[in-house]
Amino acid sequence: MFSQKAIKRGISGDTQATPEVVRHSRYPHRLSVYSDPPELEVSIEEFESFALDRLQVLKAIEDAQIRSSNEADRHTRISSAVDAHLPLHTNRSKLPLRQLMAERRKDHVSHFILRLAFSRTEDLQSWFLRHEGLLLQHRFRDADAQEKQHVLATMHLPLVYLAPGEGMDVRGSYYSKQDALFEVDFEHVLDLVQRMQVVVNKGRALVPQAEIATLLVHEFRRQLSRALAVCAKALPQLGEDERLVPVLQSLSRQSVRSEYQPTGAAGEVTADSVDSLAVHFPLCMRHLHTSLLKDHHLRHGGRMQLGLFLKGIGLGLPEALVYWRRAFSNLTDDQFQKGYAYNIRHNYGQEGRRVNYTPYSCNRIITTNPPGPGDHHGCPFRHFASDRLNAALRQDGLGEAEATEVVELARNGHYQVACTRHMEINLRKRRTEPAEELRVDTVVSPNQWFDLSVGNGKLPESSRFAASAAQPPGMTQ
Amino acid sequence: MDTSTDDSAIEVSPMTLGQFYQRLFPHRQFYSWLNYKAQSSSMTFTHREFAFTIRDGIYIRYQSFKDCEEFQRELARLIPTRFEIGAVFTAQPKHAKSLQPGVFKPVEKELVFDIDMTDYDEVRTCCQGGSICSKCWKFMAIAMRIVDAALREDFGFEKLLWVYSGRRGVHCWVCDERARQLDDQGRRAISGYLSLIRGGAEQGKKVNLSSRTANHPHVVRSLDIIEDYFEDVVLGEQEILLTRDRWLKVLAALPDEDLRQTLDTQWQKRPDRTSSEKWSDLIDAVDRRAAKQKGKFALTMFERDMMLQYAYPRLDENVTTHMNHLLKSPFCIHPGTGRVCTPIAADDFDSFDPLAVPTLAQLLREVNEATGATKGKEYAETSLGEYVDVFDDFVQTLDPGNEADVAMAGSLDF
Ligand code: SF4
Ligand SMILES: [Zn+2]
Repeated sequence: MFSQKAIKRGISGDTQATPEVVRHSRYPHRLSVYSDPPELEVSIEEFESFALDRLQVLKAIEDAQIRSSNEADRHTRISSAVDAHLPLHTNRSKLPLRQLMAERRKDHVSHFILRLAFSRTEDLQSWFLRHEGLLLQHRFRDADAQEKQHVLATMHLPLVYLAPGEGMDVRGSYYSKQDALFEVDFEHVLDLVQRMQVVVNKGRALVPQAEIATLLVHEFRRQLSRALAVCAKALPQLGEDERLVPVLQSLSRQSVRSEYQPTGAAGEVTADSVDSLAVHFPLCMRHLHTSLLKDHHLRHGGRMQLGLFLKGIGLGLPEALVYWRRAFSNLTDDQFQKGYAYNIRHNYGQEGRRVNYTPYSCNRIITTNPPGPGDHHGCPFRHFASDRLNAALRQDGLGEAEATEVVELARNGHYQVACTRHMEINLRKRRTEPAEELRVDTVVSPNQWFDLSVGNGKLPESSRFAASAAQPPGMTQ
Repeated sequence: MDTSTDDSAIEVSPMTLGQFYQRLFPHRQFYSWLNYKAQSSSMTFTHREFAFTIRDGIYIRYQSFKDCEEFQRELARLIPTRFEIGAVFTAQPKHAKSLQPGVFKPVEKELVFDIDMTDYDEVRTCCQGGSICSKCWKFMAIAMRIVDAALREDFGFEKLLWVYSGRRGVHCWVCDERARQLDDQGRRAISGYLSLIRGGAEQGKKVNLSSRTANHPHVVRSLDIIEDYFEDVVLGEQEILLTRDRWLKVLAALPDEDLRQTLDTQWQKRPDRTSSEKWSDLIDAVDRRAAKQKGKFALTMFERDMMLQYAYPRLDENVTTHMNHLLKSPFCIHPGTGRVCTPIAADDFDSFDPLAVPTLAQLLREVNEATGATKGKEYAETSLGEYVDVFDDFVQTLDPGNEADVAMAGSLDF
């Protein structure tokens, strides 16, 4: 459990952690950006329990993002999860060295296990990245000056400090003469640039020292994202170890519901019933559906996105052919048969490679194939301009404040969280008696939205989330 | 609409467009622009997506060309009614279909902006929808000055190409290497930085800056620019407070019901006061009220916020935020107006006159009347010449070696 050196030096685990002792230990620093993998043996039990504990924390962070309306509340919620599952005491905490080291080792090891588990698909990767970033941000906020300095040093950030009084010509009246600032290429602090919270001059951002956490997290995520890509490539080799693979799979499966398996919550869906079910569609599908009714046509991206979604809610192939035939009312039968019917059968695995295609996940809709001019597919929270999103939400009956809240979330890049809020507001409105605070899981699939809406906020018993990577990522097409 | 009655007989048709592409389109400079390097074809051209809209509105994506000659040939062959420029990809877009998914990805593109006059409908009173006039065009001049200054001074970009969109707006192509490399997140950040106007049609007040943001150098500079125009353009020409309809729209942004009523009554008694006079009434009243209710922030910011709301650029975010977004190319012909999408000189935003931009008809007449002495450069003898010069100047800045190369290539042509 301790570094060989420490043991050789005769430091026992019960020694109180004086600064001198800690400095020579395996983990001299509390905060880590996990540049190096752990070198220690881990038992399979530890493997699983460490990872589960870290997962609890990441999930709590996700939850806090949705539930908390203010920073302080968010911070408290995350703190309590961290204290319960993944505490990390400071060097000054006077705890026995054994405990300090155990905590840090657990932090280190659990991060790397989840790295493995979450590198398997892009959906999983982006979930992991986002929440690890937030965890680091949370811890950094509570860290002392020395700890902060250490983490920053490990990141090798190309920044230049501006002492109070320096750089007066560019401070304008935005910063005071006394503000301690640093200067960095604006690409490192995009969040701050986007919200105009820093002065930018000739491509360099002048950032208040207090905002250094933003910079750190940005850089951490960038490096972690690269590491995850490397990890994903290495993963198939792990396939030999039969003990590890099931554990890794179950880990990601119970956390991120990236592959939602539609449940058919609405029962058998017919061509006639689609239009009346549209009230249960998430905004992306609502928009496609409305455009289809209006234009009697949808371009390819839209047909795929809506078509597979409808398939997911229970529209069978014969009914789907009827539905689309009617919707494309400007076409002759011949045009429809030639241009579109094949495609629909293809989606149902009746043509071509006979793959039974599944509905798109939110992540896929958000991150791939952005809509061009004339396209209606995509995710409104991601692809609509704020004005337009606001109007769409207002049209759906959201009040001005509610719409603004949701648009703000979307503006800050929390697309799925914004969509989840949208649903919560909708469901709250629908309930007659004031129910207990409504909580729904983050939306990961338009079909989940639909099932939740049909079930008034509850998913049917039969619902489940499957990890998509039953096969290693290298093998998926 | 057009300058000469003779010209209106000449339509935008495959025949006339074909002539335009063959005789007037500045292929060489166009190629040098997107190629960036003086020597040999580079990826920024060969791996670049073009999308053509051809007859009957058929839209073909993923076109790409190996060099200037092929591009020129295809333009002449397909005679697109318009064409768009997209990203540079990992492979030649024309081979996209035969590639494994995941292999074909966009790697870079110019950072682009699109400002469209229709987004100004709620602040302009002279025209609506697709039409423009010299009065409302001044909003575009303001927008270009503000965005241009921010891109240069704040972000340090230097290679900015401004283009008239042919009808009612402008595009900006930021061509610095650093801008081309930005990922979507970077594009979103710059677009967000440049957006101050928020909120939909139902919201009266759409700019609500904190006192801190109001001190941001970009806001301060933008307000300085707006001040050059506000009195003459927004109050003088647009007369945003002339009629009761109009002033009610402005008053709707006042966060104080009482003030709204007072001013409305006051102006109903004196409707003949000019917009400038009414604006002074408004600002005086707001100042007085703000002084009385000390610290009522919403009121003290009112004048500043409203100036921004009425004159700050309104960008189409979607065009900017995706690397993979296509944008209409310079030197296309707008099918509705027949006007060429011409470059706009960056030091001359105020004097650019969209209504003076030559139409296809006019150019064909001019080129037919020309002496033909400048073969291969026939645009030089038409009104397109001065715009090609602006483009030329811009292209020269992209690569120091370019100048010699263009001259050489030109001389090899004939
Ligand atoms: S978050 Fe998902 S369900 Fe919601 S609108 Fe976007 S894509 Fe659709
Ligand atoms: Zn006008």
